[in-house]
Amino acid sequence: MTEQRGAETLRRYEEINEKIRKGDAVVVTAEEFVKHVQDRGLDTVAKEVDVVTTGTFGAMCSSGAFLNFGHSEPPIKMAKCWLNDVPAYKGLAAVDAYIGATAMSESKGFDYGGGHVIEDLVSRKEVELRAEAYGTDCYPRKAIETTIVLDDLNQAVLVNPRNAYEHYNAATNSTDKILYTYMGVLLPNHGNVTYSGAGQLSPLYKDKNFETIGIGTRIFLGGGIGYVIGEGTQHNPQNQFGTLMVCGDLKQMKPRYLRGATYYRYGTTLYLGIGIPIPIINLHVAESAALPDDQIFTNILDYGVPSRSRPVLKKVSYAGLKLGKAAINGKSVPTSPLSSFKYAREIAETLKRWVQEGLLLLSRPAELLPNVKDFKPLEVRRHELKVKDIMTVNVTTARPSHDIKTIASLIVRNGVDHIPIVDDDNRLIGIVTSWDLAKALAQGKRMLEEVMTTKVITTRENESGDVLARRLAQYNISGMPVIDDEKRVIGIVTTDDLAKLLRK
Amino acid sequence: MKLRLFYKRDNVNNPVISNIVLKTRIPISILEAKVSSSGGEMVVDVPASGKTLDEVRELFQKAGVLAKEIKSVIEIDYDRCMSCGACVSSCPVQAIKQNAQWDIELNRERCILCLICANACPVRAVRSP
Repeated sequence: MTEQRGAETLRRYEEINEKIRKGDAVVVTAEEFVKHVQDRGLDTVAKEVDVVTTGTFGAMCSSGAFLNFGHSEPPIKMAKCWLNDVPAYKGLAAVDAYIGATAMSESKGFDYGGGHVIEDLVSRKEVELRAEAYGTDCYPRKAIETTIVLDDLNQAVLVNPRNAYEHYNAATNSTDKILYTYMGVLLPNHGNVTYSGAGQLSPLYKDKNFETIGIGTRIFLGGGIGYVIGEGTQHNPQNQFGTLMVCGDLKQMKPRYLRGATYYRYGTTLYLGIGIPIPIINLHVAESAALPDDQIFTNILDYGVPSRSRPVLKKVSYAGLKLGKAAINGKSVPTSPLSSFKYAREIAETLKRWVQEGLLLLSRPAELLPNVKDFKPLEVRRHELKVKDIMTVNVTTARPSHDIKTIASLIVRNGVDHIPIVDDDNRLIGIVTSWDLAKALAQGKRMLEEVMTTKVITTRENESGDVLARRLAQYNISGMPVIDDEKRVIGIVTTDDLAKLLRK
Repeated sequence: MKLRLFYKRDNVNNPVISNIVLKTRIPISILEAKVSSSGGEMVVDVPASGKTLDEVRELFQKAGVLAKEIKSVIEIDYDRCMSCGACVSSCPVQAIKQNAQWDIELNRERCILCLICANACPVRAVRSP
């Protein structure tokens, strides 16, 4: 790129706003812009169109609202505070609080959280306020219980540290168990693919070099007018994972575009609608705004691997995902979005109307946002228990040729409950537990093949203790062989080993 | 007709369905199967009606398996629904689709009332009847 980022070579903000005031501005949604450019070419269309409107509507966990309750008589310096039983952050002045979208109700748990409180406030419902304090000379009150409605509050400002992800990963599940994740319900054995993001309507993809979206950009936020106040947390624009920090007056917003939500067995969140007008100030911005779904890509990741670096199974375009099917390992797998394309389109249309009617003027950013920014991981600088610290190295194993009586005597003699069955190279073939033997006895089975489990749940020596404990619970088992890359048994871990740790 | 079958612990190991298929020649398909320590539960599709269906139900009863017709399907509250699609691919029998406007559509014939979609819905717009 030769010209400066943000160069207003096609049109200036003042010219656009002048046209908006006169009712002459040419405003189209991102979907319409894509189509126009495909039909008539970028140069021609970029000369005609002043503003492209975008939209996205999805789960945005890093959302919440600052609330000021006003002072009671006698006054209170709230140290802890709950709204409909959902704890709000009180590390602020006496009657200021922050209600975060993912905070969960202390009585209803997963069913109701901070996102629902925000939706109820915006729906003008009464919300119960409860607070505790230690009492001071200036703030004598030690507890309060009352109800509030949005219009009682002095300020109610949505301030969201991370919204409007440029695009997001798609998810599938390689394990044989159903998984409940922040990417929704993932069926076993790559049974489905879920994905998020608005594709060709996505605000940040339509200005992927961040030439027009910056601090002070006026936007559609939750059905009202809001502003971009900075880069969002984890902003990583060079990998198309750009994000925004935004704020807006909650009192202007509409419940349709702020929905409290629950991801089953994961937690509560807020579905939020955001739309950003993109002024076509130069050809690079036009080029980005014209990106169609088949040129916007994401990766399908395996959420069956509980790690921060999940394996990439496949790169796909949003056009592909929108077809409702993706091929994984030669199998056709249903795909579906988690964020609403219907609402994203509706938001882009609403924003188009706002600009056309002069309800929203465009603003030149006070500062542009970085278009390169690293996303660093958190290193754990303390020793943490891994499987190799817990496992028993001297494993009692047996061969497929052994009869079950031999195995029973091994279990009794060595005081163990799990006997991995291995081949001549110590490679894992199956497992027999004392429970399997009890069952065999009850059912009159004698052959080892009839008794042993061949689909063995295993672990690796470098796996973390937390992941191990979760897998034992998930499969409702009491032990797992530890295998190496060649499937050789190098140890065994059992719930007894974990219990021993707790006794230490 | 779709049936939900309840197996007791002692008949989980019996080839109940195979015997009925061999006897009636009706190709029964298994849509869902769960076995736990207390017994088993299955959802099957029996392509039959009237007397033949009654015969199949009687045979299940004789084999000690309780067979209940699945008459109802999930309900979608369109006032709450955001048309997000979270329920769509979670459906193991592809009973839920999105149309060109991304509206959610339920194919009542396919639904087996497993309720995975009810869990998948972020705003509780999908519920058991």
